Amino acid sequence: MVSGTFVEVAAPARNREAGTAGTAPASRESGWSRIRRLAPPYLYLVPAVVLLVVWTYQPLAQTFVLSTYSWNLVPSTPMVDVGLGNYERLLGTPELGRAVWRTVVVILGMLPFTVVIPVAVALLTRRVRGRAQGVYRALVFAPMLVAPVAGAAVWQWLLDPSAGAVNRVLGTDVNWLNTASTAQWSIIVITGWHVVGFAVLVVTAGLAGINPDYAAAAQVDGASRSQVTRWVTLPLLSPTLAFLALMTVLLSAQWTFPLIDTLTQGGPVSSTTNLYYLLWEYGFRSHDAGLAAAAGVLFFLGFIVVAALLTRLAARLSHHDD
Amino acid sequence: MSRIRLQGLTRRFGAVTAVDDMGLDIADGEFLVLLGPSGCGKSTLLRMIAGLLPPTEGRLWLGDTDITHLPPQRRDVAMVFQSYALYPHLSVASNIGFPLRTRKRPRAEIRAKVAEVAATLDLTGLLDRKPRELSGGQRQRVALGRALVRDPGAFLMDEPLSNLDAKLRAGTRAEIAELHRRLRTTTVYVTHDQVEAMTMATRIALLNEGRLEQLGTPSEVYDAPASVFAATFLGSPAMNVVDATVRSVDGVLRAEAEGLLLSLGIEADIPDRPVRLGVRPEHLTLTPAGKQGIRAVVTAVENLGSEEVAQCRAGHTAVSVRGPRPLGVTSGEAVTLAARPDRLHLFDQNSGRRLAWQAASVPEPV
Repeated sequence: MVSGTFVEVAAPARNREAGTAGTAPASRESGWSRIRRLAPPYLYLVPAVVLLVVWTYQPLAQTFVLSTYSWNLVPSTPMVDVGLGNYERLLGTPELGRAVWRTVVVILGMLPFTVVIPVAVALLTRRVRGRAQGVYRALVFAPMLVAPVAGAAVWQWLLDPSAGAVNRVLGTDVNWLNTASTAQWSIIVITGWHVVGFAVLVVTAGLAGINPDYAAAAQVDGASRSQVTRWVTLPLLSPTLAFLALMTVLLSAQWTFPLIDTLTQGGPVSSTTNLYYLLWEYGFRSHDAGLAAAAGVLFFLGFIVVAALLTRLAARLSHHDD
Repeated sequence: MSRIRLQGLTRRFGAVTAVDDMGLDIADGEFLVLLGPSGCGKSTLLRMIAGLLPPTEGRLWLGDTDITHLPPQRRDVAMVFQSYALYPHLSVASNIGFPLRTRKRPRAEIRAKVAEVAATLDLTGLLDRKPRELSGGQRQRVALGRALVRDPGAFLMDEPLSNLDAKLRAGTRAEIAELHRRLRTTTVYVTHDQVEAMTMATRIALLNEGRLEQLGTPSEVYDAPASVFAATFLGSPAMNVVDATVRSVDGVLRAEAEGLLLSLGIEADIPDRPVRLGVRPEHLTLTPAGKQGIRAVVTAVENLGSEEVAQCRAGHTAVSVRGPRPLGVTSGEAVTLAARPDRLHLFDQNSGRRLAWQAASVPEPV
C-alpha cells in the first residue's frame, strides 16, 4: 500500500517576480529637484497669466476702486473719496431703469437673428450639396467680415429718409434712425444682419457634431423628415442653442455699440441708449468717471448672475453623446 | 411576407464601386449573414436595403413591393446600428417606444408594448434611465428592443456585437439566435466575425470587394469554399494553400510540388495541370517520416489550451497543423504531413475558383 496526502498548491509569492525581498523604503527627493520637476507647467502658464492680470483683472480691480471716487478724468483734478455715493446716485436716476428695459428689448430682438434664423438657414443649407453649399454659407457669413462702422455708414445711406433704398423699396417715407419708435428696431436689425452669419456658422458646426446615425435610426424607425428634425436633431442641438442664447444675452448690447455710436448716438430722445451706451455716456460724455465705474461694477455683477443661470441651464441640456 | 430580393444592386462612390451588381434572394424567415473583410461593401449593401443610401443601379423588393425608391420610413424594416444610435436625450422607455411614436399610436398602447419588450429583454428596471447610464450590453439590448417593438418585416443588423467584450458577445450571440428561432423574422446581419457567421446564419453571403464571393449554408461555405478567398477567410488558422501540379501517375491523380506528394484518390488520366492546393490545418495529420505527404519543419508550437497549432515551413510556404494537445512535436523537428484525399481542395491557379472533379462518361470498351 502506498499512502500519501493532498498538499494545497501555494499561491504565487507576491514579491518573487520583482526580485526584491520585502518592501524597499521610498527614496527622498531633494527640495531643488522637486522644484525643478514641478515648475515647468507653471512657467508655461506665466505669459498668459501676466497678460490676463494686466489687461483684465487689474482694470477690473481699478474699476471697483474708481467706483468709490468722484473724478472728472482730468489728471490734474484730485479724486475725491465718496464711498458708496456713486451707487446711490446711479440707482436714483430714472435713466438706469429705462436703459435696462431697452437692453432687454435689444436682447429679445436679437434672439431671432442669433437662434431662429440661423437654425432655419443651417438646416436648409445642409440639404444643398457640393460647391453651392459653400457659396450659400459664404454669402450668409459675409456681413460678419464687414467692419461695423463701415456697415453702419452703408446702412445710414440705405435708411436715408429722402433717397434711401429702404424707403423706396417699401414705398414709405419713414425717418428710420431719427424717429424714437423705429430707431431701436433699426439698430437691432442692422446688428442682427451683422451677426447672423456667425450664428449660422455656430449652428452648422453644432449640426456637424451630431452623429448622423441618430437621424438614420430615426428614419428607419419611421420618422418623417420633420419628425427627425423636431424629435432628434433639435433636442441634440440644444446645447449649441443654449450657447447662442447665452452669447446673445451677454453680448447683444455690446454688439450694438458701434452702430449706436455711428448712427444715433443713443438718440433720438435716448430711445437707443442701452446699458453699455449709458455707461459710455457717463464716462466719456459727462466725464463722471466714478459714476461710470459704479455702473460698470453693477452691470458686471448683474451679468455674472445671468451668465451663471444660463450656463447651469446649458449644462442641464447637454446630452453626453457617446 | 418579407422575402427580400436584390437584383443587380450597385453602388458607386465616385470612381469606387462599393457594391457591384449584387443579386440575392433572401427567403422569408431566413437569417442571412453578410460576411466579409472591412471595405467589402457589406455595410453599404445593408444601408441600401434600409433605404439610407440610394443604389446607383439595380432593384430591391420586400415581399412583392418594389422598395427601390421608397424612403426608409416607408420600408417595413428595423435596423440595429453598430453604434446602437440610441437617442441620448430620451429615456430607455422612449427609445424603445420611438418607432411607435412615429406611427402615432395611442400612449397607453405604446406603454404596454414597451413594457412587454422590456420584459423579454430584461430591461424592465432600466426604463427610466438615459442611455449614458447604461453598460454596453444594456445599450445593445435597448437597440434590439427598439427594433423588436414594432414587429417589422425584416431586421437589419450592422455588426451589433462588435462593441461588446468577448464574454458578453458570446452570450448576446446566443440570445439573438434564440430570438430569431422564436420570431422567425427575416434577418440580414452584417459582420466580419466568422464565428458569428458560422453559429448564427442559416446562409452566409461572403462578400469580397463589393462582389458576392459565395452564397451557402455555413457548412457549405466551410466544407466546400468556392474560391481561395472563401477558403482562407473562414477558419482559424486559415486554410493552407500551396501551389502544386496535378499529375496522373499509374492512372491515379496526385498533387505534386517540391517536398509535397498527396494522392487525390481519383482514377483518371489527364495532362498535367497547375493548381492551388488547399487543406485545412485540422485535416493535416502527422505521419512517420518516409511516408508520402508534405515534408516540413516545425517552426513553432502554439498552445490553445484544448488544442495545439504547429506552425511549419514547407519549402517557401508556411503551413499550419491543428490537432488535439499534445501534438507531440517540438520546434525544429522535421515532420511529414498527410491528409485524406477528400479533405483536399483544388483551386484554379489564375481565377482562384474551386475546381470540382467531374468524371467523363467513359464509353464501355466493346
